[in-house]
Amino acid sequence: MFFHNFLYSLKVLFRNKPLMFWSFAFPIVLGLLFNLAFKDIEKNESFSSFDIAIVNSEEYLNNPIYKEAYTSLSEGDDKLFDINYVSKEEADVLLEDKEIVGYLEFSESVSITINQNGINETILKFVVDEIESNKEMINSLIQKRLENNKYSEIELIIGEIKSKVLNTSVSLKDQTKDNISYTMIEYYTLIAMTALYGGTIAIYITNLKLANMGSIGKRTAVTAIKKSSLLLSSLLASYLIQILELALLFLFTIFVLSVDYGNNLLYIIILALIGSFAGLTLGVAIATLIRASENTKTGILIAVTMFGCFLSGMMGITMKYVVDTYAPLVNLVNPAALITDGFYNLYYYGLNDNFILDLILLLVFSAVMLLISYRGLRRQKYDSI
Amino acid sequence: MSKVIEVKKLNKSYGSTKVLDNLSFEVEKGEILGLLGPNGSGKTTTINSILSLLNYESGTIKIMGKNMTPDSFDIKKNIGVIFQDVAVFDELSVFDNVDYFCGLYIKDKKKRRDCVTEALKLVGLEAYKKYTPKQLSGGLLRRLNIACGIAHKPSIIFFDEPTVAVDPQSRNNILEGIEELRDKGATIIYTTHYMEEVEILCDRIIILDKGVILASGTSEELKELANIDEKITVEGIKVSKKILEELNNNKNVDEVHLQKNTLKVTYKKGKNNLVELMDLLKKYKVKYSSLYSEKPTLNDVFLSLTGKELRD
Repeated sequence: MFFHNFLYSLKVLFRNKPLMFWSFAFPIVLGLLFNLAFKDIEKNESFSSFDIAIVNSEEYLNNPIYKEAYTSLSEGDDKLFDINYVSKEEADVLLEDKEIVGYLEFSESVSITINQNGINETILKFVVDEIESNKEMINSLIQKRLENNKYSEIELIIGEIKSKVLNTSVSLKDQTKDNISYTMIEYYTLIAMTALYGGTIAIYITNLKLANMGSIGKRTAVTAIKKSSLLLSSLLASYLIQILELALLFLFTIFVLSVDYGNNLLYIIILALIGSFAGLTLGVAIATLIRASENTKTGILIAVTMFGCFLSGMMGITMKYVVDTYAPLVNLVNPAALITDGFYNLYYYGLNDNFILDLILLLVFSAVMLLISYRGLRRQKYDSI
Repeated sequence: MSKVIEVKKLNKSYGSTKVLDNLSFEVEKGEILGLLGPNGSGKTTTINSILSLLNYESGTIKIMGKNMTPDSFDIKKNIGVIFQDVAVFDELSVFDNVDYFCGLYIKDKKKRRDCVTEALKLVGLEAYKKYTPKQLSGGLLRRLNIACGIAHKPSIIFFDEPTVAVDPQSRNNILEGIEELRDKGATIIYTTHYMEEVEILCDRIIILDKGVILASGTSEELKELANIDEKITVEGIKVSKKILEELNNNKNVDEVHLQKNTLKVTYKKGKNNLVELMDLLKKYKVKYSSLYSEKPTLNDVFLSLTGKELRD
């Protein structure tokens, strides 16, 4: 019976033309539009280094880690910054005149001053955070060696410091592939949106299995099969279609639009699969908790997803930075933000702890959605239908 | 005959409105029981409660001697339900729709195919098996709805107003199909507000209003409750006061009703009422366009019991 229901669920879903259009064709059309819109921008706009200022201070001059890191990032053909070493007053003037993206002041730690949000400001913040966290790691490394009286290893420590600092810049350069690609970010957001929109399929299929949501639900509720078995096989079919639509989107963007996802394809797929699962559970929760027509429920899912996408910077990555700064908790419960953040993390750093955290938070979100849907899904008798 | 369904003291409310009030009845094996009542009388609520889809405040429901619960799968496999709303997939063909629902009961593919074919034949949809529901007329769609509910050959079948908004041809087909199912041994519970259908179809009828059983019995037994024997209607007539007086003085006459050019006379008893009325009209040389006599209907029973018409 499980397989019977699974097969017919697939048949019903594949033959639902509007649902299939929005699931399969819409993301591809959108991808095509992105390609047309951003192709020329990408050709004409390559990334160039930007100006920052460092406020002269003893803390900066006396800290070899800072000096090594920022100097290495401002040298060579693939440099990230052009650094102006100035006083605080001069830095303020330069920032006011928009001559620099921001300036850094060093004390025990580093503080960044910017006067707007944008891609360069975001890069600056990421780089500074990264150097800061490496500095902490190196300090702790030195401390341990000194505590153990291993003075003879001082050369080794210096070597490690150099390695850490240089790895930071190399890692950044590799991940950005010399260019910050707006188009890539748009494709990532497209994948995230598609993953969450898969919830519309879950809404459709869940509605068919709940007696209080329609006549087909009533008919299946009086059959001699456990509701859990029917629901599970139907949602499996729904998830399979979500995976197929993502696979098609990937294939289309890779082979038709020539999008290069780099070496992170496996992690992108993992993120997309978990993101899809989050979308599915969001759909199940909306279908179960809201007693309204299917169109209304779908509208709610789209509205929730779009709002989440807006907050996570899909319509302009500045918004992501604003939410990160002023309401970071929102991004922890917003699946769109988690997916986007996952892509950003992969984009800048490859596989790292933050990416893993994004995956875990998406799974937690899915678990919470299933938990709040549980009562509605399990319910067999109603006060009214 | 053994009892297939036993409903005892069933009570159900929606907020402060009581929709089932101490409802008790039984259904015998192999009979067609009709639940007759106007819209909102509690017919569908009764069926949904029996099927364990609805919570109810108190009462017991037993099917085949066992308490009915949502997990009574051994009972459920013997039940077929045709809900008032059509419950089919627009995306599937007629055959696939029936096959899907049948497949929720029967695993064996060959057996299932035979069952589906038989069900489609019963409702007269063999020629439409490749059609999608959107290509079917309202009547054919209702027939598909029935095929989906009976393909697995259940021994107990609930029909909840299966002929609402159906053309006469499809209605006849549906009623014939139900009789055939009864002939094959199925026990049937049939709800409707069409009194003609229960008269034709049902072995026993329960008249419901506001969640209360007003009366139950065979059609003939119920009609006795109407306390009238005959209704005569004369159309296109101009009646004088003398005729009305004479009719009102007739001890067999229960009620005389004149509206525009139509005269309706209800008789409590009497064997030659029609002839006597014709003689009376002849005596006063009254002309009329038509005249006909009717036996009491279940609507008259309902009218007599509640003071309102079934379709009010």
